[in-house]
Amino acid sequence: MKMPESGSLASEGAKVVLATSCDENHPPENIIDGRSETFWVSTGLFPQEFIISFPSPKTISTLHLDCYNVKRFLIERSTDTDPVDFKPLQDEKDLPVTDNQLMKEEVRVSNVQANHLRVSILSGHDHFVSIHRLHING
Amino acid sequence: MTVGVEMCTKNINIPDSRDTVEMFIFDSAGKELFADVVQKYWDDPSLVMVVFDVTNEMSFKACDKWLGRVMSKNPHISCPGVLVGNKTDLEGRRVISEQTARQFAEANSLEYFECSASKMKNVEQPFYFLANAYHKLYKEKLEVMKSLA
Repeated sequence: MKMPESGSLASEGAKVVLATSCDENHPPENIIDGRSETFWVSTGLFPQEFIISFPSPKTISTLHLDCYNVKRFLIERSTDTDPVDFKPLQDEKDLPVTDNQLMKEEVRVSNVQANHLRVSILSGHDHFVSIHRLHING
Repeated sequence: MTVGVEMCTKNINIPDSRDTVEMFIFDSAGKELFADVVQKYWDDPSLVMVVFDVTNEMSFKACDKWLGRVMSKNPHISCPGVLVGNKTDLEGRRVISEQTARQFAEANSLEYFECSASKMKNVEQPFYFLANAYHKLYKEKLEVMKSLA
Protein backbone atom coordinates (compact mmCIF):
# COMPACT_ATOMS: atom_id res chain seq x y z
CA MET A 1 0.00 0.00 0.00
CA LYS A 2 1.16 3.51 -0.83
CA MET A 3 1.77 6.09 1.90
CA PRO A 4 -1.27 8.26 2.55
CA GLU A 5 -1.27 11.77 1.09
CA SER A 6 -0.04 14.42 3.49
CA GLY A 7 -2.98 16.21 5.11
CA SER A 8 -5.20 13.13 4.71
CA LEU A 9 -7.05 11.67 7.68
CA ALA A 10 -4.76 8.63 7.63
CA SER A 11 -1.64 10.82 7.79
CA GLU A 12 -3.12 12.41 10.93
CA GLY A 13 -3.43 9.00 12.55
CA ALA A 14 -7.13 8.31 11.88
CA LYS A 15 -8.12 4.66 11.40
CA VAL A 16 -11.07 2.84 9.89
CA VAL A 17 -12.06 0.61 12.82
CA LEU A 18 -15.06 -1.07 11.20
CA ALA A 19 -16.33 -1.65 7.67
CA THR A 20 -19.15 -3.96 6.63
CA SER A 21 -17.48 -5.02 3.37
CA CYS A 22 -13.90 -5.93 2.63
CA ASP A 23 -12.52 -6.68 -0.81
CA GLU A 24 -8.80 -7.04 -0.11
CA ASN A 25 -8.02 -5.17 -3.34
CA HIS A 26 -10.13 -2.19 -2.23
CA PRO A 27 -9.76 -2.02 1.57
CA PRO A 28 -11.51 0.55 3.80
CA GLU A 29 -8.18 2.36 4.44
CA ASN A 30 -8.58 3.74 0.91
CA ILE A 31 -11.33 6.03 2.22
CA ILE A 32 -8.92 8.08 4.37
CA ASP A 33 -5.70 7.96 2.31
CA GLY A 34 -6.51 11.33 0.70
CA ARG A 35 -6.68 9.91 -2.83
CA SER A 36 -9.74 9.82 -5.07
CA GLU A 37 -8.24 7.09 -7.29
CA THR A 38 -8.28 4.52 -4.49
CA PHE A 39 -11.60 3.47 -3.01
CA TRP A 40 -13.50 1.16 -0.70
CA VAL A 41 -16.25 -0.86 -2.36
CA SER A 42 -19.35 -2.46 -0.89
CA THR A 43 -19.62 -6.09 -1.99
CA GLY A 44 -23.41 -6.38 -1.95
CA LEU A 45 -26.56 -5.75 0.11
CA PHE A 46 -27.60 -2.71 2.13
CA PRO A 47 -27.16 -1.13 4.58
CA GLN A 48 -23.37 -0.77 4.68
CA GLU A 49 -21.33 1.27 7.12
CA PHE A 50 -17.85 2.23 8.23
CA ILE A 51 -16.49 3.88 11.37
CA ILE A 52 -13.44 6.15 11.48
CA SER A 53 -11.68 6.81 14.80
CA PHE A 54 -9.49 9.86 15.36
CA PRO A 55 -6.37 9.81 17.59
CA SER A 56 -7.62 12.95 19.39
CA PRO A 57 -10.91 14.90 19.31
CA LYS A 58 -11.37 16.33 15.81
CA THR A 59 -13.16 19.56 15.00
CA ILE A 60 -15.41 19.33 11.97
CA SER A 61 -16.84 22.24 10.00
CA THR A 62 -16.99 20.79 6.50
CA LEU A 63 -16.97 17.18 5.46
CA HIS A 64 -16.19 16.17 1.87
CA LEU A 65 -17.33 12.76 0.68
CA ASP A 66 -16.35 11.51 -2.80
CA CYS A 67 -18.46 8.50 -3.66
CA TYR A 68 -20.24 6.61 -6.44
CA ASN A 69 -23.80 5.24 -6.61
CA VAL A 70 -24.59 6.08 -2.98
CA LYS A 71 -28.28 6.95 -2.68
CA ARG A 72 -29.38 7.44 0.93
CA PHE A 73 -26.77 8.02 3.61
CA LEU A 74 -26.34 9.17 7.19
CA ILE A 75 -23.30 10.56 9.00
CA GLU A 76 -23.06 10.34 12.77
CA ARG A 77 -20.43 11.27 15.35
CA SER A 78 -19.46 10.00 18.74
CA THR A 79 -17.65 12.00 21.43
CA ASP A 80 -17.16 8.94 23.62
CA THR A 81 -13.74 7.28 24.04
CA ASP A 82 -15.19 4.13 22.48
CA PRO A 83 -17.11 4.16 19.18
CA VAL A 84 -20.54 4.08 20.85
CA ASP A 85 -23.46 6.44 21.42
CA PHE A 86 -23.51 7.96 17.92
CA LYS A 87 -25.54 11.11 17.21
CA PRO A 88 -26.49 12.29 13.69
CA LEU A 89 -24.42 15.11 12.16
CA GLN A 90 -27.24 15.86 9.72
CA ASP A 91 -30.51 14.27 8.61
CA GLU A 92 -30.49 11.29 6.29
CA LYS A 93 -29.80 12.55 2.78
CA ASP A 94 -30.47 11.38 -0.78
CA LEU A 95 -27.86 11.82 -3.50
CA PRO A 96 -28.70 11.89 -7.22
CA VAL A 97 -27.44 9.42 -9.83
CA THR A 98 -24.15 10.44 -11.45
CA ASP A 99 -23.42 8.36 -14.52
CA ASN A 100 -19.75 7.45 -14.73
CA GLN A 101 -18.81 10.39 -12.55
CA LEU A 102 -17.74 10.75 -8.94
CA MET A 103 -20.31 12.30 -6.64
CA LYS A 104 -18.59 14.99 -4.59
CA GLU A 105 -20.79 15.69 -1.60
CA GLU A 106 -20.12 18.45 0.88
CA VAL A 107 -21.65 18.40 4.36
CA ARG A 108 -21.42 21.59 6.42
CA VAL A 109 -21.80 21.50 10.17
CA SER A 110 -21.19 24.11 12.84
CA ASN A 111 -17.76 23.23 14.27
CA VAL A 112 -18.62 20.05 16.12
CA GLN A 113 -16.15 17.75 17.85
CA ALA A 114 -15.88 14.04 17.23
CA ASN A 115 -13.76 11.13 18.38
CA HIS A 116 -15.43 8.76 15.94
CA LEU A 117 -17.42 9.16 12.76
CA ARG A 118 -19.89 6.62 11.40
CA VAL A 119 -21.06 6.76 7.79
CA SER A 120 -24.08 4.56 6.99
CA ILE A 121 -25.05 3.88 3.41
CA LEU A 122 -28.71 2.97 3.61
CA SER A 123 -29.34 2.42 -0.10
CA GLY A 124 -27.63 2.72 -3.45
CA HIS A 125 -28.33 3.52 -7.09
CA ASP A 126 -26.79 0.13 -7.89
CA HIS A 127 -25.97 -3.16 -6.15
CA PHE A 128 -22.50 -1.87 -5.28
CA VAL A 129 -21.27 1.53 -4.11
CA SER A 130 -17.79 2.96 -3.65
CA ILE A 131 -16.35 5.55 -1.28
CA HIS A 132 -13.26 7.19 -2.76
CA ARG A 133 -12.33 9.84 -0.24
CA LEU A 134 -13.47 11.36 3.00
CA HIS A 135 -11.87 14.65 3.92
CA ILE A 136 -12.59 16.90 6.89
CA ASN A 137 -11.99 20.62 7.27
CA GLY A 138 -11.81 21.76 10.87
CA MET B 1 -44.70 -26.00 2.72
CA THR B 2 -42.99 -22.70 3.45
CA VAL B 3 -44.92 -20.48 5.85
CA GLY B 4 -43.83 -16.88 5.34
CA VAL B 5 -40.08 -16.57 4.80
CA GLU B 6 -37.27 -18.93 5.67
CA MET B 7 -33.83 -17.32 5.66
CA CYS B 8 -30.68 -19.25 4.87
CA THR B 9 -27.21 -18.63 3.49
CA LYS B 10 -25.23 -20.40 0.80
CA ASN B 11 -21.59 -19.86 -0.17
CA ILE B 12 -20.55 -20.35 -3.76
CA ASN B 13 -16.92 -20.26 -4.84
CA ILE B 14 -16.35 -18.49 -8.12
CA PRO B 15 -14.15 -20.52 -10.52
CA ASP B 16 -10.79 -19.01 -11.56
CA SER B 17 -10.87 -16.52 -8.70
CA ARG B 18 -10.34 -16.41 -4.95
CA ASP B 19 -13.81 -14.95 -4.52
CA THR B 20 -16.86 -16.44 -2.85
CA VAL B 21 -20.39 -15.16 -3.28
CA GLU B 22 -22.29 -15.49 -0.02
CA MET B 23 -26.00 -15.62 -0.73
CA PHE B 24 -28.58 -14.48 1.80
CA ILE B 25 -31.61 -16.37 0.60
CA PHE B 26 -35.14 -15.41 1.56
CA ASP B 27 -37.08 -18.54 0.67
CA SER B 28 -40.54 -17.05 0.34
CA ALA B 29 -43.87 -18.86 0.46
CA GLY B 30 -45.74 -18.95 -2.86
CA LYS B 31 -49.18 -19.10 -1.26
CA GLU B 32 -51.08 -15.87 -1.88
CA LEU B 33 -52.03 -15.87 1.81
CA PHE B 34 -48.44 -14.93 2.71
CA ALA B 35 -47.87 -12.43 -0.13
CA ASP B 36 -47.88 -9.31 2.06
CA VAL B 37 -45.72 -10.87 4.74
CA VAL B 38 -43.00 -12.22 2.45
CA GLN B 39 -42.58 -8.97 0.51
CA LYS B 40 -41.54 -7.16 3.70
CA TYR B 41 -38.25 -9.08 3.46
CA TRP B 42 -37.48 -8.05 -0.09
CA ASP B 43 -35.87 -4.60 0.18
CA ASP B 44 -33.11 -4.02 -2.38
CA PRO B 45 -33.13 -7.47 -4.00
CA SER B 46 -29.82 -8.47 -5.63
CA LEU B 47 -30.89 -11.61 -7.46
CA VAL B 48 -34.15 -13.39 -8.13
CA MET B 49 -35.07 -17.06 -8.44
CA VAL B 50 -38.66 -17.91 -9.37
CA VAL B 51 -39.51 -21.59 -8.90
CA PHE B 52 -42.62 -23.30 -10.25
CA ASP B 53 -44.02 -26.83 -10.34
CA VAL B 54 -43.95 -28.32 -13.89
CA THR B 55 -46.97 -30.49 -12.98
CA ASN B 56 -49.11 -27.52 -11.98
CA GLU B 57 -50.36 -24.93 -14.48
CA MET B 58 -51.47 -22.50 -11.74
CA SER B 59 -47.97 -22.55 -10.31
CA PHE B 60 -46.47 -21.62 -13.70
CA LYS B 61 -49.08 -18.92 -14.35
CA ALA B 62 -48.25 -17.28 -11.02
CA CYS B 63 -44.58 -16.75 -11.98
CA ASP B 64 -45.34 -13.54 -13.88
CA LYS B 65 -47.02 -12.01 -10.82
CA TRP B 66 -44.25 -13.00 -8.41
CA LEU B 67 -41.51 -11.81 -10.75
CA GLY B 68 -43.28 -8.47 -11.09
CA ARG B 69 -43.48 -8.15 -7.33
CA VAL B 70 -39.73 -8.65 -6.93
CA MET B 71 -38.79 -6.32 -9.78
CA SER B 72 -41.10 -3.54 -8.53
CA LYS B 73 -39.06 -3.37 -5.30
CA ASN B 74 -36.29 -1.53 -7.08
CA PRO B 75 -37.25 -0.80 -10.69
CA HIS B 76 -34.11 1.25 -11.39
CA ILE B 77 -31.67 -1.56 -10.59
CA SER B 78 -31.73 -4.68 -12.74
CA CYS B 79 -31.36 -8.04 -10.99
CA PRO B 80 -29.96 -11.14 -12.67
CA GLY B 81 -32.67 -13.79 -12.44
CA VAL B 82 -33.52 -17.42 -13.10
CA LEU B 83 -36.72 -19.36 -13.67
CA VAL B 84 -36.67 -22.90 -12.30
CA GLY B 85 -39.12 -25.66 -13.25
CA ASN B 86 -39.20 -28.12 -10.36
CA LYS B 87 -40.56 -31.72 -10.00
CA THR B 88 -39.18 -32.98 -13.32
CA ASP B 89 -39.16 -36.50 -11.79
CA LEU B 90 -42.98 -36.65 -12.09
CA GLU B 91 -42.75 -37.27 -15.83
CA GLY B 92 -46.30 -38.57 -16.40
CA ARG B 93 -47.86 -35.64 -14.60
CA ARG B 94 -46.00 -32.87 -16.38
CA VAL B 95 -48.24 -30.12 -17.88
CA ILE B 96 -45.75 -27.30 -18.59
CA SER B 97 -43.34 -28.13 -21.40
CA GLU B 98 -39.75 -27.05 -21.34
CA GLN B 99 -40.39 -24.94 -24.43
CA THR B 100 -43.29 -23.03 -22.82
CA ALA B 101 -41.25 -22.30 -19.73
CA ARG B 102 -38.18 -21.33 -21.75
CA GLN B 103 -40.22 -18.85 -23.81
CA PHE B 104 -41.51 -17.15 -20.67
CA ALA B 105 -37.98 -17.05 -19.23
CA GLU B 106 -36.51 -15.50 -22.38
CA ALA B 107 -39.28 -12.89 -22.60
CA ASN B 108 -38.39 -11.83 -19.05
CA SER B 109 -34.59 -11.96 -19.42
CA LEU B 110 -34.31 -14.95 -17.09
CA GLU B 111 -32.07 -17.98 -17.49
CA TYR B 112 -34.10 -21.20 -17.47
CA PHE B 113 -33.30 -24.33 -15.44
CA GLU B 114 -35.15 -27.54 -14.62
CA CYS B 115 -34.65 -29.61 -11.51
CA SER B 116 -36.01 -32.29 -9.26
CA ALA B 117 -35.64 -31.22 -5.66
CA SER B 118 -36.88 -34.58 -4.37
CA LYS B 119 -34.25 -36.48 -6.43
CA MET B 120 -31.64 -33.72 -5.78
CA LYS B 121 -31.12 -33.45 -9.52
CA ASN B 122 -29.81 -30.21 -11.08
CA VAL B 123 -30.65 -28.23 -7.95
CA GLU B 124 -27.26 -26.51 -7.65
CA GLN B 125 -27.05 -25.15 -11.20
CA PRO B 126 -29.39 -22.15 -10.88
CA PHE B 127 -27.54 -21.07 -7.72
CA TYR B 128 -24.18 -21.30 -9.51
CA PHE B 129 -25.55 -19.29 -12.39
CA LEU B 130 -26.84 -16.52 -10.11
CA ALA B 131 -23.67 -16.33 -8.03
CA ASN B 132 -21.54 -16.09 -11.16
CA ALA B 133 -23.82 -13.46 -12.69
CA TYR B 134 -23.58 -11.37 -9.52
CA HIS B 135 -19.81 -11.74 -9.40
CA LYS B 136 -19.56 -10.68 -13.04
CA LEU B 137 -21.68 -7.61 -12.30
CA TYR B 138 -19.37 -6.77 -9.38
CA LYS B 139 -16.27 -7.03 -11.56
CA GLU B 140 -17.88 -4.81 -14.20
CA LYS B 141 -18.79 -2.15 -11.64
CA LEU B 142 -15.26 -2.24 -10.21
CA GLU B 143 -13.90 -1.28 -13.63
CA VAL B 144 -16.23 1.73 -13.71
CA MET B 145 -15.17 2.74 -10.18
CA LYS B 146 -11.49 2.47 -11.13
CA SER B 147 -12.03 4.88 -14.02
CA LEU B 148 -13.75 7.58 -11.98
CA ALA B 149 -11.05 9.66 -10.30
